[in-house]
Amino acid sequence: MTLILAHTGSYPRIGDSAELQALRRAIAGVDRGELGAAQLADAENLMTRRAIEEQAAAGLDLITDGQIRWNDPVSYLAGKLAGVRVNGLLRLFDTNFYFRQPVIESRPVRRAALTVSDFQFARETLASVNGHPAARRVKPVLTGPYTLARLSLAETGEMKALETRAAAYAEALAAEIGALADAGAEIVQVDEPSILLHAEDWAIFTASLAPLAIARDAARKRGHKLDLILHVYFHDCVPLYENLAGLPVDGLGLDFSYNPKLGDAVASLGSPVPLALGLVDGRNTKLESPAEVARETTRLLPRIAGQRAWLGPSCGLEYLPRDRARAKLELLGKIRSAVEGR
Amino acid sequence: MNRKKLEKLGLHLPLFPVTSVGSFPKTDEVTRARGEFRRGKISAEQLEQTERDATAFWIAKQEELGIDVLVDGEQYRGDMVAYFAEKLPGFTEGGLVRSYGNRYYHKPIVTGEVRWTAPLTVEWWRYAQSLTKKPVKGMLTGPYTIMDWSFNEHYADRKATCMALAGVIRKEVEALIAAGCKIIQVDEPALSVRPEELPVAIEAMHRVTDSLDAYFITHACYGAFELIYPGMLDLPVDNFDLEMSNSGLDLLELFRRHSFTKDISFGVVDVHSHVLEDPATVRQRIEQALTILPKDQIWVDPDCGLKTRTVDEAIAKLKRCVEAAKAFRN
Repeated sequence: MTLILAHTGSYPRIGDSAELQALRRAIAGVDRGELGAAQLADAENLMTRRAIEEQAAAGLDLITDGQIRWNDPVSYLAGKLAGVRVNGLLRLFDTNFYFRQPVIESRPVRRAALTVSDFQFARETLASVNGHPAARRVKPVLTGPYTLARLSLAETGEMKALETRAAAYAEALAAEIGALADAGAEIVQVDEPSILLHAEDWAIFTASLAPLAIARDAARKRGHKLDLILHVYFHDCVPLYENLAGLPVDGLGLDFSYNPKLGDAVASLGSPVPLALGLVDGRNTKLESPAEVARETTRLLPRIAGQRAWLGPSCGLEYLPRDRARAKLELLGKIRSAVEGR
Repeated sequence: MNRKKLEKLGLHLPLFPVTSVGSFPKTDEVTRARGEFRRGKISAEQLEQTERDATAFWIAKQEELGIDVLVDGEQYRGDMVAYFAEKLPGFTEGGLVRSYGNRYYHKPIVTGEVRWTAPLTVEWWRYAQSLTKKPVKGMLTGPYTIMDWSFNEHYADRKATCMALAGVIRKEVEALIAAGCKIIQVDEPALSVRPEELPVAIEAMHRVTDSLDAYFITHACYGAFELIYPGMLDLPVDNFDLEMSNSGLDLLELFRRHSFTKDISFGVVDVHSHVLEDPATVRQRIEQALTILPKDQIWVDPDCGLKTRTVDEAIAKLKRCVEAAKAFRN
C-alpha cells in the first residue's frame, strides 16, 4: 500500500501577522499607484516560498505553489488568453469567495505559457528548502477546460455554445500541459468542479478532457514522465463516481466532505485508477480525528488500483485561515502515521 | 408594492422609493480611528464617538441627496457576519480568509451554543433614527448567511446551525420592532449557494419574521438565482433587494418567465466598479425593469453595499439613483 501526502491546490495568500501580509500590502500599493510590477512579483515570490515551506515542513510529498499568484481559479488562466477579457464578480460555487468572470470576445487562444514560470519558480524554491527529500515534487494545478467554459460568458456567436468554448479552452490547456511537461512537471492536476453540478454535460466534459490526455500521451512520447490527475470538489461526487473513475486519467481526486456515502461507494465499486482521497475537509476549521480518517483510508486503500492513493484536503486550502490551513496539512502526517500503525 | 402594509405601518413612500443596501464607505476619520484603536492609541469611547459622527454625516448626506428610506451606513461594523459573531456568545473569531481580489475578512467559527443575550444593533438604529424624520432601516444579516459564512465546529450540521441562528436573529428583530423600527432588512446574500438548501433558508426566515409587524426586505447578490427562482419567492419577506446591474439585468429574463411577486429593490448601479454610470444608463435600467415589473413594485438602489467605494464615489452613485427615480416619478 502506498499513501502519498499531497496538497490539493491553493493555500492562504496571507496570514494574520504583519509579515504574512506582504502580498496584501503590495497589491494595495499597486492599486494606489505607489508600487510597480516588480515589487508585486517580489511579494508573490515571498508568499509562494512561505506556502512551499509550510507544505514541506508538514511533510507533504507532493506540493503545489499554493496558487498564490492566482486572483481566482478562473480569471488567472482565462484572462491570459487572447480573445478573453475579465469582467464582474460572481460567487465561486457555494463558497463565499468571488471570481472575476471571463467574457469571451473571440476564440480563446494561448499566445504564451500560462503557468510554466510559476512551476519553475516553485520547483527552484523547493530545491532550496533545507533537507527536503529527493522524491518530493511540485504539482502544477490547472482549472479544467469544461469548468472554465462553464464559468465564462460568451458574446460572439460561435462561442455561445458551451462545447465550442470548452474545446477552445481545451486546446489552450493541452498546449500548457505539454509545456509544463517540457519544463519538467511529472504530475499535473486538472480541476473540474463544475461537472459535479452538470451531469447533463458529460459528453461535452469528456470531449474537452480528450485533448488533455492526448497532450499527456504526446509528452510521454517525447520521453517525459507525466501523469494527469483529475480533481472534482465542491459538490456531491457519488452520482458521477463510476463515470469519473472510468476516465482516461492517471488519478482521480475526490471531495469526501459533501456526502458521507462516498466512502461506501468507493469501497463497494473500487477504483480502476489511483485516488486522491480528499478526506480532510478543506472548507471547515474543525480538525478531523486522525484515527477516524486513518480507519477510512485503511478501508478504501485495498479497493483502489495498485493500492495507491494520495491523501490530501478535499479542495484547496485558501478557504481557511492560515493557521487552520497549516494545521490541516500537519494532520495529514498524523493520519498517515496512524494508517501505518506508527 | 405592498403599500397596504407600508401605510398600515405609517410609512408613506413615493413611487420608486430610493434606498441603499446597507454599508457606506468608512469616512477618513473612522478609518483613522479604527487604526488608532487597534494600536491602543484611542479608547473604545473615542472610536465610538467618531463612528457616531460619521453616522450623522451619512444620515445628513442621504437626506441632502433625497433618499427616501435611509440606512445608518454601518460605520461601526466591519464585516456583515463578523459583526454579529463578535457579539454573540458561541462564536470565536477566526483568522483572515479572502473574499475576492485583495479583500479579506475574519471568518467566524461556531464553537458553542449560539445565544442572544442583549440587543446587537438597536442602539445604533435608535441613534440613526433620532437624526432624521425619514424611516431608517434596521439592518441584520440572515441566519442562513451567517451559518454559511461561518465555520462550524459545534452543531451537528448546517441546518441545525442555521435554525439556532434564526432564533437569535428573531430576538434581534423583536428588539428592533420594540424600539420602533418599521422596515427591517435581513440580508441573505448566500441564499443561492446551495440550491438544495433553499427550504432550510425559507424555514429559517419564517422563524425570523413570522407574525411580526414590520415590512421585511432581504438582500441577495452575486448568486445563481436561476437555480432558486421562483422558489425563492416563498421566502417570507415583502421586498427582495437584488443586485441587477453587475449581471447585466439578466434576472429580468427569469421574471419574464415567472412573475416576480414581491416588491423589488432594483440595483441600478454597480458597486464594484469605480466607473460612475451615466444618467442615461441608469434610467435605461429602470426602463428595462418597467418592461417586466409594475411601477409600484419597484424601489431603486445600488447593487450592493457601497463600502468598497470611496466616499465621493458612493455619494455620486447614490445621486445617480435619486436622479433616475425622480425622473420616473415625474
